[in-house]
Amino acid sequence: MNQLAESVLGLSDEAILAETHEAGSDPEQEAERTRLVLRQASKVIDGVSNRLLNLGHAINPNDWRYGQWAYHNKCLYCGSSVSFTTATGEMRGEAFEGLCPESDQYAIRRRKASRCV
Amino acid sequence: MARLLSFVDARPQFASPKSALLVENDKSLLNYLKRCLKDEGYAVRIAANSDDGFRLYRDYAPFNVVLIDYYVPQIKEFTIDLLAPRQTNGTALAMAIREIKPSQRMIIAALGGYWNASELLLPRELMHIPVLIDILKLHSLLERIEVEQAIEALTDSELQRLQRFAEFRVRGLGRAARGRTWEDLLSEAQFRTFIGTGATREGRHWNKHVDIVWHLTGAMRSISNCWKRQFTEKEAYLISELPIRDAEGQEQSLLDNVPSGHLAADERLIEKDEEEHVFTAVKDDLEATQVLHGLLEGLKKNEIMSKYGLGDKEYAAVVKRILKLLGRGNGGSKW
Repeated sequence: MNQLAESVLGLSDEAILAETHEAGSDPEQEAERTRLVLRQASKVIDGVSNRLLNLGHAINPNDWRYGQWAYHNKCLYCGSSVSFTTATGEMRGEAFEGLCPESDQYAIRRRKASRCV
Repeated sequence: MARLLSFVDARPQFASPKSALLVENDKSLLNYLKRCLKDEGYAVRIAANSDDGFRLYRDYAPFNVVLIDYYVPQIKEFTIDLLAPRQTNGTALAMAIREIKPSQRMIIAALGGYWNASELLLPRELMHIPVLIDILKLHSLLERIEVEQAIEALTDSELQRLQRFAEFRVRGLGRAARGRTWEDLLSEAQFRTFIGTGATREGRHWNKHVDIVWHLTGAMRSISNCWKRQFTEKEAYLISELPIRDAEGQEQSLLDNVPSGHLAADERLIEKDEEEHVFTAVKDDLEATQVLHGLLEGLKKNEIMSKYGLGDKEYAAVVKRILKLLGRGNGGSKW
């Protein structure tokens, strides 16, 4: 299987599209499906960051650690934990349970501001 | 190796001129940021106020990235609409640019001693825009933007190649995939590329001299190998394969845990153990063994005495010997 995977890299653009077509799939639809997967993964990451930001938590985006099934990080201010899975976008951890006790006043101000504009 | 090189050469590198618009009024910061952007390979246009920034954007858009100072001043021409309440010139410019091109990548720079992004007042529409608080993070922000742009620029055939590669790698994992799909593998590779600039071992730094497809397939190869290493063949496939351990941590056979149909099976097992123990203890005493057999058969005292020809005193002496041999007193003994 791994060798088959490697062989895909050697195929020309036409050949890979033709192969998809021969398999009975629409190459455009399949490409769009892959595009959606990539966009979704990007949204998951932004979703986690925005949710944490709104709660006043701050994480180092380069400090995600991979566990068995999820990525883990910690709020730089209050130390509360946060984790999420790239596959399902499921978010867990103390950080999502409430405002960051170290910077909650800023988060409230920010949310009020976003309602004003 | 030759195939690798031909594949890499077959596609134009992401070295095409990148452009950036920098809107910053602080001269020293402007020069520093300009130099940083140039070092990253960007051709930079600069503006010292939001109106000039807006004009430059209108005339030269699109840019790969627009970097706007949160507190950049505005001159009095009001090229941009009057500010909404609690909006800064920087956010107003970002909103105006968003009106022209919603997908324009932007960074809001707030380098004036803020602790974190939540201190800034950003309109809801700009909440997704990365905020630069720490100037040292500029490199990783730009890298994230570049990865996103490279992924967005993927052609149908490149996307197909990524999908097929991921499919085969996951199928090759077999049980080691543990329910993961090709989508999971691809998403994982993308995420690790996003965090790739950091010092974490999970991150996958994208070397811009390498095609993004080649990079993502390399990441998928590495991740799937890692999944395989984490999987052990002993891993349970069915619930019935889960190892069962007793209180002392000893692995038990499943058969050990098949319940007996007998209602008092446990008690019977304990009794059997005790019987063996008692008969072993009195094995050299014929009369004691006989009395024990009689008791086990459910015979009464008189029946035992009659069966084995024992008198009253002899029977009492035999029972005494049995108890002595077993080291137990009369109290609580069923004998």
